[in-house]
Amino acid sequence: MRPILLSGHERSLTQIRFNKDGDLLFSTSKDKIVCAWWSANGERLGTYAGHQGAVWTVDVSPNTVLLATGSADNTVRLWNVKTGECVKTWDFPTAVKRVAFSPDGSKLLAVTEKRMGFLGTIAVFDITYGDGDLSNLNAQAEEPSLRITCTESKATVAGWSYLGRYIIAGHEDGSVSQYDPKSGDQLENVQAHEFDHQINDLQFSPDRSYFITASKDKSAKLIAASNLAILKTYVADTPLNSASITPKKDYVILGGGQAAMDVTTTSARQGKFEARFYHKVFEDEIGRVRGHFGPLNTIDVHPAGTAYASGGEDGYVRIHHFDKPYFDFMYEVEREQMRK
Amino acid sequence: MSRLGNNADWADDDEYDDPSALPATQITENKDGTKTVVSYRFNDENKKVKVTRRIKSTVVREHVNPQVAERRSWDKFGLEKGHAPGPSFDTTSVGENMIFRPSTNWKAQAAEAEKNPEQGSMKDQLKDKKVKCRICNGEHFTARCPFKDTMAPVEEATGAGDMGADEGAAGGLGAGSSSYVPPHLRGKAGGAAGEKMGGRFEKDDLATLRVTNVSELAEEQELRDLFERFGRVTRVFLARDRETQRAKGFAFISYADRGDAARACEKMDGFGYRHLILRVEFAKRST
Repeated sequence: MRPILLSGHERSLTQIRFNKDGDLLFSTSKDKIVCAWWSANGERLGTYAGHQGAVWTVDVSPNTVLLATGSADNTVRLWNVKTGECVKTWDFPTAVKRVAFSPDGSKLLAVTEKRMGFLGTIAVFDITYGDGDLSNLNAQAEEPSLRITCTESKATVAGWSYLGRYIIAGHEDGSVSQYDPKSGDQLENVQAHEFDHQINDLQFSPDRSYFITASKDKSAKLIAASNLAILKTYVADTPLNSASITPKKDYVILGGGQAAMDVTTTSARQGKFEARFYHKVFEDEIGRVRGHFGPLNTIDVHPAGTAYASGGEDGYVRIHHFDKPYFDFMYEVEREQMRK
Repeated sequence: MSRLGNNADWADDDEYDDPSALPATQITENKDGTKTVVSYRFNDENKKVKVTRRIKSTVVREHVNPQVAERRSWDKFGLEKGHAPGPSFDTTSVGENMIFRPSTNWKAQAAEAEKNPEQGSMKDQLKDKKVKCRICNGEHFTARCPFKDTMAPVEEATGAGDMGADEGAAGGLGAGSSSYVPPHLRGKAGGAAGEKMGGRFEKDDLATLRVTNVSELAEEQELRDLFERFGRVTRVFLARDRETQRAKGFAFISYADRGDAARACEKMDGFGYRHLILRVEFAKRST
């Protein structure tokens, strides 16, 4: 496995996302620019310039036409993926920490920060894709169609469950809640992680029926989207920043490491800056991939399950295309199952 | 006369006109389907360099989503606008190869790898390992030992007398003897002395002397001369180092008759030969 190193950012990475076909990879960092890369060879397709502050989050529409980014300059921007033009800017009173397109691409949610007297919110926008020929992309709604206010604990991450039926949000206090995307009512709230340990990432399985959360409490949990039942727990020895579910093989990849402020005082080995692979079902750790010089801030898996990319505090994105041993590994019970 | 504008004469070889000119690139098709491209360029020190590349082109057909194929033709934009296709060196590099092998006990494996990082594959481990014969300690496989016939472990029949008894029984189709006798040995087992392959040489085993403390400079012929005084010597084997061809300090002497061997053993043990005192004993059967 020969990783491809992408060094297009000057500051630490905040989020990376593959598009639905997996041929493009989008990365955002604190250095205000957004990059698009070809995932196969690491060639940079282009950059999306316009943000005035650290870019916290990125998501791409399922048809790879629009790219949404949320930034510390209190805006969500919508970009034309192909040309790099900004087609729409929404202003918020506070920074935007997470954006996510619904599975059909018709809606976009944005999680805003709680600051300066403003409560954390989840805003939902209706998205249009022009007049069929993608020509009129900037005709987007001005105001959100729904605004969910998080009165108890601010949301840090959020996403859409299967068919866009629920909005699932992870909170600063370690709880996970389920919202109705039509009415905005909170349907359920579960204290999935230890109290007051922020949930740093929330990623869905390919069919979006369950998701994985990564938390500061050094664990990641697999949770069902319909009733928020905790299915699996993966315990690590370091605070986790990101977690991802791999298609094709039943693994999960967790990334984390010592807090960024302590990094300079620890060696790369002790800092635990590795991507950890766990078996999704058996909850065993099955391997680690080393490489970053700082904590892993974000991980995303190729939708076909053939590669994964990680973005670190060190400003690098590393794309790893899996080779044979990754696909060959099986537990004895799995092998027996195969023989039957 | 429209070509007058072109001041280069047809007879001039433009390679000689301009020392900075580079010869044209030559492309030759090889028989095995590869192409050899010979091109010239100037290196950093402004010297002309000939670059020979052998290129094998393979066509890889891949079915992709039409949207993905359409995206491949997209132009670069933003900071990459106008850049040539292909990854650029300032943003993209390839990291060190790493081995990722999922395993349930990866922790133990990682600890092992940490302990001796220079430990390579099994092949590297065996690279320095010497082949050692179990019979004569020579640098060959036991199966290739020249003394295989005389020294090899044989399960049955230990004495010369047994050989005679065997002779009759082996004539039949293995009747009376529990072991299988190959057809070409039936009826003549232990017969012809010259037939070494597959024959049994337990007799030799008892008439073979092991000579140790032999000088490095010893020669096979000298040993033969020394030992022939006591009887007919059928075989002399002097173990030599494969590389230096020097004697390794031991030899085997086989006699046709055990009585001669016994006499030689008695007389030659303690004999001074080439500044060293020989030690002679009956060769032990290796088991």
